[in-house]
Amino acid sequence: MTTGALDVARAALAMTDDEADVVAQAESSGLARFANSEVHQPTLIENTTVTMRVVRGNRVGVAQTNRIDETGLAAVAARATDAAESAPDDPGFPGLPRPAEAAQPGGYDEATAALTPEDQARRATAAIAAADVPVYGFFTSGVTDLAIASSTGIELEQRFTDAMTLVVAADEGRSGYAEAVAARDADVDPAAVAREAAEKAVRTADAATIAPGAYAAVLEPYAIAELLQNFAYDSFGGLGLVEERSYFAGRIGERVFDERMTIVDDAADARGLPKAFDYEGVPKQRVELVVDGVARGVVWDRASARRAGGGHVTTGHAPAQDDLFFGPLPQALAVSPGDAESVDDLAARVGDGLYVTRLHYLGVVHPREGVITGMTRDGTFRIRDGKIAEPLVNLRFTVAVPELLREVLGLTRDAKLVNSSAFYGARYPYGIRTPALATSRFNVTGIGGGPGI
Amino acid sequence: MRELCLLAVDTATSAGAEYADARAVVSRQQHVTTKNGSIEQIADSESEGIGVRVLVAGAWGFASDRRLSDEGARAAALRACAFARAVGGRGRRPLAPLEAHSGTYRTPVEIDPFSVSLADKVELCLRADEAMKSPAVIMRQALARASREHKIFVSSEGSDVEQETIESGAGIDCAAAGDGVYQTRSYPSASVGMTQQAGWEFVQALDVEREAPRVAEQAAALLTADACPAKVTTLVVDGDQAALQVHESVGHPTELDRVYGTEASYAGTSFLKPDDLGRLRYGSKQMNVTADPTTPRGLGTFGFDDEGVAAARQAIVEAGVLTGFLASRETAARIGTGSGGSMRADGWNRMPLVRMTNLHLEPGEGTLDDLLADVTDGVYMETNKSWSIDDKRLNFQFGTQVAWEIKNGRRGRMLRDATYTGITPEFWGSLDAVAGRDSWEMYGITNCGKGQPGQGAHVSHGAAPARFRDVQVGVRA
Repeated sequence: MTTGALDVARAALAMTDDEADVVAQAESSGLARFANSEVHQPTLIENTTVTMRVVRGNRVGVAQTNRIDETGLAAVAARATDAAESAPDDPGFPGLPRPAEAAQPGGYDEATAALTPEDQARRATAAIAAADVPVYGFFTSGVTDLAIASSTGIELEQRFTDAMTLVVAADEGRSGYAEAVAARDADVDPAAVAREAAEKAVRTADAATIAPGAYAAVLEPYAIAELLQNFAYDSFGGLGLVEERSYFAGRIGERVFDERMTIVDDAADARGLPKAFDYEGVPKQRVELVVDGVARGVVWDRASARRAGGGHVTTGHAPAQDDLFFGPLPQALAVSPGDAESVDDLAARVGDGLYVTRLHYLGVVHPREGVITGMTRDGTFRIRDGKIAEPLVNLRFTVAVPELLREVLGLTRDAKLVNSSAFYGARYPYGIRTPALATSRFNVTGIGGGPGI
Repeated sequence: MRELCLLAVDTATSAGAEYADARAVVSRQQHVTTKNGSIEQIADSESEGIGVRVLVAGAWGFASDRRLSDEGARAAALRACAFARAVGGRGRRPLAPLEAHSGTYRTPVEIDPFSVSLADKVELCLRADEAMKSPAVIMRQALARASREHKIFVSSEGSDVEQETIESGAGIDCAAAGDGVYQTRSYPSASVGMTQQAGWEFVQALDVEREAPRVAEQAAALLTADACPAKVTTLVVDGDQAALQVHESVGHPTELDRVYGTEASYAGTSFLKPDDLGRLRYGSKQMNVTADPTTPRGLGTFGFDDEGVAAARQAIVEAGVLTGFLASRETAARIGTGSGGSMRADGWNRMPLVRMTNLHLEPGEGTLDDLLADVTDGVYMETNKSWSIDDKRLNFQFGTQVAWEIKNGRRGRMLRDATYTGITPEFWGSLDAVAGRDSWEMYGITNCGKGQPGQGAHVSHGAAPARFRDVQVGVRA
């Protein structure tokens, strides 16, 4: 990146005399995707997008471009102005935010930003070489430069980096999964990830079937993160609460989960993928969602907070313009750890049940009840006599997340950062930090195929 | 743009690529969403850039650059070659032979959607929004969208094509809530409306305002409807749900890259094997599925795919037997048949992948009422609401916004929280009727995800109401 995102944002803002704010987001990334232990889809991306929001009275219009020369920026300003003039008056528009100081939580690593395509290829190759089972996955790293400038005086910029390895180790009839994501490349060991996935895969051969029904289960962090992310779409955001699709609607202040469950959104946590401010330039706040099992609140942006009334204010969770559908969402969820020494300890608490590594293709069946369906994948086992036992085929589950989290048998002491981004659109890495969890209520509603390719 | 593509290809081959192609893309989208009488989003977006794909010593490389300039084209080409060299290959990587094409394609439109002002798009949404007002309805949403993509493709084998696709779409959604029950209803499809590769005349024909009162009334009625009972019964689905069923349980598993495992790390693989072609019984004799990138108004319609392969209709399932795969040139060479034709990329900065084009469930005979008439006891489900299917595309569970029980050939009471589940070949094996051509419509899906980094795709499915026997409905948590 030769021009900083804040320079681009300022240049764009200078193209209009109206009230306006500009988000500039620059990405430089590489992803070496491999299948059957061969890199087959290596992708390099260089892009800078500019999103301008123009305000005329209470009329608001938005335009976006990736042409960042003078002509392109003038054109985006003209189109944003046209959009604002086309909009009806919106008495609910809260206005543009005023400047506020945003802490710089870190999240940028020079060595990660400096990784070349050759470096990225080497890390993918290291993962491939480390596994004695064919591997499918990727190594990726990138640097994102996010800046906001506004006519109200906001001028903010944060550079953040991310590195990630994801590995499915699989062949006929067996498969295992592992991943690692961090802001620093040095904290991601592709070979170790591949070995973890391969070791899991080897244990899944000759998978057995079981009868549908309610089981106790141990869920690895990968599975818990996936469940929480899907539950969050409706239940952890202010818009979901206002529109009553949230399970928390009418339940704030009530005991909703087991008292061992505490969930916060903390973008400043240096162990995650830290962010300083949201897409309106509002500093990120730590938000308590569930404390000791009691629903405490949700995350807000300025629009949803104003719509809700009742004294709600933004928590610094305004989404990007491309992600307005669900409204403000947490993107740095953290589940407090428990007292279990390991997943083996959790298995002992389960006694007789299931062990689930990860989930696949979740669908929200009933948002208000938090009912989600999906499949287990890449490492499902039976737990017998308190120990992880024989492998199982992939299982369809249909669970009410609140019920699953009300009947908790324990959580591990250690938590893991699990990636939540599938790298659609502009790069914005985020994840969920969670321990493994044991529950007495995991409802199996169908039987799928065996593991493996 | 064409000169930039030629420069990129020339740069790549000069740098040692045995094959190179370049796509220069300029796209624009307008998106208007209103919610509860106010603007939720009014956005006018554009994006442009060049993507260069190369083969160097049997290894793929892909690099993209937003700069549509000589510098950007050269940089993308050289970086793609460097990445390919760095990752290394296992030797020769055959591609299905392809005769070089020169040609153009443009979506035929009557009314350019960008000639319709943003203000008019806002007004359309607000009128529909207003028409959904009802005491029980707590959320009303309307959306309208337009997009245009201008694309040049040039390859080192001499292909040189130019295409412009135009899409228009609209839709409405509402939610009703009461006594802890939350229900949604939409028209023509849930959440993302309906989009076709067409001009604004398509949006005018949808007439979302006309349908708004019905949608609101049904959302409110769902609050007091009984929950869909759990049982094994006869299931009739509307065209919208049939389209989703085709997408998830026929489209994705017949993508040949999934069959060969190259999507295993994200979207998943397939229960199909290469040698199932021509042998595997996918469903009943009433099941006929075709892939057709030439279908007028389809979101997967083009003149040439993103490898320069000319669009061609292809049977995927004939009388219940698997007869075709969706393929790239590489996977076509591997299976030894065809020349691909299903490679599509999401914009300029993603590598082409095997994607659905337009995948149709071919019509049978009769109407929805004819399908219902032959049901003593069953459930009729309408408008997809939730979806989930396993990584091999075998075990699925889908839900719809609304259902009605079927008693003695007629629609009975309304049911809420309708779901059904099954195993792909067993389910399609239970298909005993598809309604006829007059009931057959095109449904658009604009949120199909695949690939790492993630790529969205727009695809269409023609479908009519369909009837399946002995299906498990009413799955409970």
